[in-house]
Amino acid sequence: MSKIQELAAAIESGKMKVVPGLIEEALNEGIAPDVILNQGMIDAMGVVGEKFKNNEIFVPEMLIAARAMKKGVEVLTPYLKSAGTEPIGKLIIGTVVGDLHDIGKNLVAMMIEGAGFEVIDLGVDVPESKFVEALKENPDVKVLALSALLTTTMPALKSTIDAIKEAGLRDTVKIMVGGAPVTQAFADEIGADGYSEDAASAATLAKSLLLG
Amino acid sequence: MIIIGEKINGSIPSVGDAIARRDADWIRKLAKRQTDAGATFIDVCASVKEDIEVETLKWMIDLVQETTDLPISVDSPSPHSIVDAIKFCNKPGLINSVSMEGDKVDTIFPVIADTKWECVALLCDDTGIPQSAEKRLQVFDDLMAKAKEYNIDPSRLHIDPLVEMLCTSEDGVNMILDVMREIKRRYPTIHITGAVSNVSFNLPARAVINQAFAVVAMTAGLNSAILDPTNRDLLGMIYATEALLGLDDYCMEYITAYREGKIGKIKK
Repeated sequence: MSKIQELAAAIESGKMKVVPGLIEEALNEGIAPDVILNQGMIDAMGVVGEKFKNNEIFVPEMLIAARAMKKGVEVLTPYLKSAGTEPIGKLIIGTVVGDLHDIGKNLVAMMIEGAGFEVIDLGVDVPESKFVEALKENPDVKVLALSALLTTTMPALKSTIDAIKEAGLRDTVKIMVGGAPVTQAFADEIGADGYSEDAASAATLAKSLLLG
Repeated sequence: MIIIGEKINGSIPSVGDAIARRDADWIRKLAKRQTDAGATFIDVCASVKEDIEVETLKWMIDLVQETTDLPISVDSPSPHSIVDAIKFCNKPGLINSVSMEGDKVDTIFPVIADTKWECVALLCDDTGIPQSAEKRLQVFDDLMAKAKEYNIDPSRLHIDPLVEMLCTSEDGVNMILDVMREIKRRYPTIHITGAVSNVSFNLPARAVINQAFAVVAMTAGLNSAILDPTNRDLLGMIYATEALLGLDDYCMEYITAYREGKIGKIKK
């Protein structure tokens, strides 16, 4: 098994502790940091996302894989920076005002991070104005991901998008929405640019929104 | 949970017969099944007359060690047999057991003083099994004084507070749970063990009682147990309880046990 395959297997099975060592070994073998990131880690998270989607693995297994991924990114970041590899894009995520659910949102954030984004997580119960502010403070953010888990907080997805429109920022950012009660039809109705039904497809969607 | 696999015990009639006819495969099979089921130690108890106990234990220990890398739990009522038999073990395991009866502690503790051997210690003494929590804790104090004398760290001890039959108890298992909690409070790194199936003696549907006992005892600090690891329902209950008590990060022990087919419905 090559070092890259070993690393991918470690990420997939969430073996966080061995990840830094495998990355060091891969670097010592002369493998480029971006190859390690893409083939050893991001692809592995893609596999994890796919398995989760197909009900082959449980939530904790996805969480530990994401944790291993995060550890790997930490170790790899200085090498990526010196090699000039930047994150593919910047994304803001949050659960809308009135809604305290964060598990789904966190999973999505981790998968998107795993896909190579730099993610700014505003947390839960985020008022419209806070999303607007964050977009103003980070003009390089290209995608905004909004989560709502309750039928009663779904309207806040719309009011958040409206607030962004009013602030004149709607054209600067692609907006994706998700959460248990949310549907593609609802996303279309409130003027979102995209909808995904699970964390793995959210990562794919974020990428395609970024690339236009 | 530390699981001491109890199936290789000469006091179980089928095993006693296998030992008597020196049926090596019988012993190997039991060692293999318990290893596959996730045991931490394989208990080996000859249950024969003392004059042939050491040679019998040697035969059994050799067979288990041929079959599995798991450490042995050397089980005998005779401290002298234990001291002789641990020499046959490839690596440090568990001694089952000492108590404050007779010369047990003074025979065994010096031998394991500077080793990695762990030891089960029962809370009884020459007067028998103390009836109150206070008296049982007094036996515990005496035992810990001995452990200190021989420099045996609490983390190497598995204290068995001696669970009694539920059918004759007046307050359920409350007293023993109090003892467990108090021991754990005084020595956080100590192990608390017990034979999970004793509690249900002479009651119907014993398996249910055993499972419920495992759960309540685990909330009081039980983290080691002498049981049949191939009992899937009991193991499932133990893995689930560990997860519920926050002792299983990301429920991964539970999920892994399921994936390895150790718990849950048998997949067809």
